[in-house]
Amino acid sequence: MSNGASPQFDVVIIGAGVSGNLIAKQLGLAGKKVLILEAGLPVPDSREEYMNNFYLALAKTPESPYPALAGRTGSQANPAGELPDPATLPTPRATVLGLGGKPNVSYLIQAQATGQNAAPDPKTGEVRGLQFSSTYERNGGGTSWHWLGTSLRELENDIQLYTKYGHGVDWPLTYSELQELWARAEKEIGVAASVTQQEPLEVVGLEYPQGYQYPMGPIPTSVVDQTISQGVSGLQVPGTLPDTPGGSDPTMYDVFVTPTPAGRNSEPYDDRRVCAGNTNCIPICPIQAKWDPTVTLGKALDTGNVTVSYQSVAYNVAVTADGKTVTGIEYYEWSRDAQGNLQKVSKSVTGKIYVLACHAIENAKLLLLSNNWNGIANHSQQVGRNLMDHPLYLTWALAPQPVWGYRGPLATAGIESLRDGEFRKYRASFRMEIGNEGWNFATGDPYTTARDFITGTNDSGLNTGGPNGTPQRLGGTALALKLNNLFTRQFRIACMFDQSPLQENCVTLDVDRETGKPNNTDGLGIPRPKVEYGFDPYTMEGFRMAAYVCSQVYQQMGAQEFTKNRVGGTGDFTYRGVSYHYYGAGHVVGTHRMGDDPDHSVVDASQRSHDISNMWVVGSGSFPTVCTANPTLTLMALAFKSADSIIAALNY
Amino acid sequence: MTTNPSTPPPSESVVQDFANLSAALTGFQSSFIRPFLDPVNLSGTFYQFAVSQVGQTMMDALMSAFDALSKQTPPLSAQQIADTLLEVSSATPSPQAQLCQSIISMWYLGSWYPPPFQSGGFQQVISSQAYTKSLAWNLAQAHPMGFSAFTFGYWSQPPGSLDTFGVNTGNGGGQ
Repeated sequence: MSNGASPQFDVVIIGAGVSGNLIAKQLGLAGKKVLILEAGLPVPDSREEYMNNFYLALAKTPESPYPALAGRTGSQANPAGELPDPATLPTPRATVLGLGGKPNVSYLIQAQATGQNAAPDPKTGEVRGLQFSSTYERNGGGTSWHWLGTSLRELENDIQLYTKYGHGVDWPLTYSELQELWARAEKEIGVAASVTQQEPLEVVGLEYPQGYQYPMGPIPTSVVDQTISQGVSGLQVPGTLPDTPGGSDPTMYDVFVTPTPAGRNSEPYDDRRVCAGNTNCIPICPIQAKWDPTVTLGKALDTGNVTVSYQSVAYNVAVTADGKTVTGIEYYEWSRDAQGNLQKVSKSVTGKIYVLACHAIENAKLLLLSNNWNGIANHSQQVGRNLMDHPLYLTWALAPQPVWGYRGPLATAGIESLRDGEFRKYRASFRMEIGNEGWNFATGDPYTTARDFITGTNDSGLNTGGPNGTPQRLGGTALALKLNNLFTRQFRIACMFDQSPLQENCVTLDVDRETGKPNNTDGLGIPRPKVEYGFDPYTMEGFRMAAYVCSQVYQQMGAQEFTKNRVGGTGDFTYRGVSYHYYGAGHVVGTHRMGDDPDHSVVDASQRSHDISNMWVVGSGSFPTVCTANPTLTLMALAFKSADSIIAALNY
Repeated sequence: MTTNPSTPPPSESVVQDFANLSAALTGFQSSFIRPFLDPVNLSGTFYQFAVSQVGQTMMDALMSAFDALSKQTPPLSAQQIADTLLEVSSATPSPQAQLCQSIISMWYLGSWYPPPFQSGGFQQVISSQAYTKSLAWNLAQAHPMGFSAFTFGYWSQPPGSLDTFGVNTGNGGGQ
């Protein structure tokens, strides 16, 4: 491969998602020749095909519009809608429908549903053996086809958690540098927000440079937001609850609602339409009013300097004998023959610089696969470790009066006022996202409640109007009015935690090192990622607080809470005698953490490998901590910094 | 869609009868169930689909029962007809009442939910249009997720009244 010939490209990027596309665009504009290797299928000419997949899917999960699991519903050939075996697919990925399953449905090799809640280890206080519940996509455009659009900035204390509160680790960046990078990302995405509306968040340290303006005005808040905002007026909560391990923060914190900066258009921007409130940001915006990575990919291609090779799955980053220089990328180009059988051809490509941009879990997998499964760029031993998410705790309620959910973007406001305080010494901080989709996320409504009243069941918890609280069966106008009364009062709040980075939460390879053979592979024969996950008491104490704050919010506004914590599923644990269920937020971070110290981090502040000077490893995997904002904006901000440093290195 | 292609399309009068039955069962206005101009023709689609699932004999029996109830004197209200067909006061609804539940579900949710008596049936989305026209969302005074005709900012104001979303609100209607 390194046969003395000059490299074929200036830069080879693996993965056509947020980071890869942004870096490709910046490099293309600078006149650099770029190849993107994308594992999955091309970006379709029109999103109609994906929309149709979504409409026909019985379970409208985040993955439902996208290839391989697209549009899964019962059929004559497959009445139960059984999932394909990841061992037969060229680019399998974690999916909501596969969670908790065995390797024949779950791409990630990890804990399976046991029927019992996980409980803390008496010695460490940690709960182990939990399901990592976030999922992702492997196709052109990547996972952010179905990002929500939330474009909050991190707080100053998010990135200096250790210095300020003695927990977790610091980021190797200053807040002022991030402010400049966020501004560039906000322009690229087209973030709709008002600095004036964000000003109350000065109480948690959110500040903008003097005179800063977002690219366009804010998205209006929903009636749900407005109702909660009025309802929580005057509400305060303490920093910690009684008996919090480690100490207490008795300060009373104000609870208030602010509009959420959003990557969706409030005015025409970049030749894309304004948001029409299809209430479908996840899994797919029907009109691309929400920015997604294919927008930036288009701009990258427009430079004339960027080429994409689809259906190209990297399986080895080839390095020199000393492990300090990448010499090429080895990949399989896959296709299906006329009979549908998977075919693969092994290829390789060279560049001056290489960028791994294929998702926090896939980046770690590729680094660990390389050098004959001995790994590269890993003298810190941190590759694959510190896997984090925003574990998501969902609560839901009926308002006393209609709030008319199921309308507008999925979320337009949140409670951000509890994201920072002294309590971060003792428990995980969290943000609270207000949902505009009724109980769709919470219970699968309108389906669940409608079926309850049509058939006389009570899966929703709402059908208790018969004699002695038994379920009713209704029809005609009586059914319509009953459902109208319920649907229009439904709303929910999702709490997302700044989970602790833990060494033992990790991605490894599912291989047998004694025999030298893989255990579970994908359809190309590449070993699959194995994941271990759990929470420490700091994180779980955050859940306890979140449950308390939600109940206070509902009580203050006269709403009736219906939160039902499942027991014995895949995302359930018991803490201090109380059962909690969590979801994944898709915010996968930490697996190639950035830092100044090469002994304790994988990449530096520009996401360049400490060990390999011509390789950058980019994306949310570089986040040292998951912080309190949804990650995409910051992920793109970091990609701008990487692009700058790559251009500087090429021009050196 | 799994409709048996050998089944001839139902006649105009059968489709209209089915639309009238559907209006009574769902509590929606007949003009919403079957508009004057109806290129989508979900009434015809759903009728045929139900026949393919439970058989012509059973559908004929249901349509006859509806016809008889419609012709009673003094006339029954739509609510009374729905309650009778659904056997709402019975703890063990008959197969015909179970079929009525599946018909409501097609209109509300765009999917076929096999009634308990059906063997070999499975849950499925009937068609893209069955989803994008499904009526449960109207009961939220909203729109199917991913398919909206509203415009920017509508969500910051209360919606139109329930009547405008097609519900036959009868005497007790309103928001």
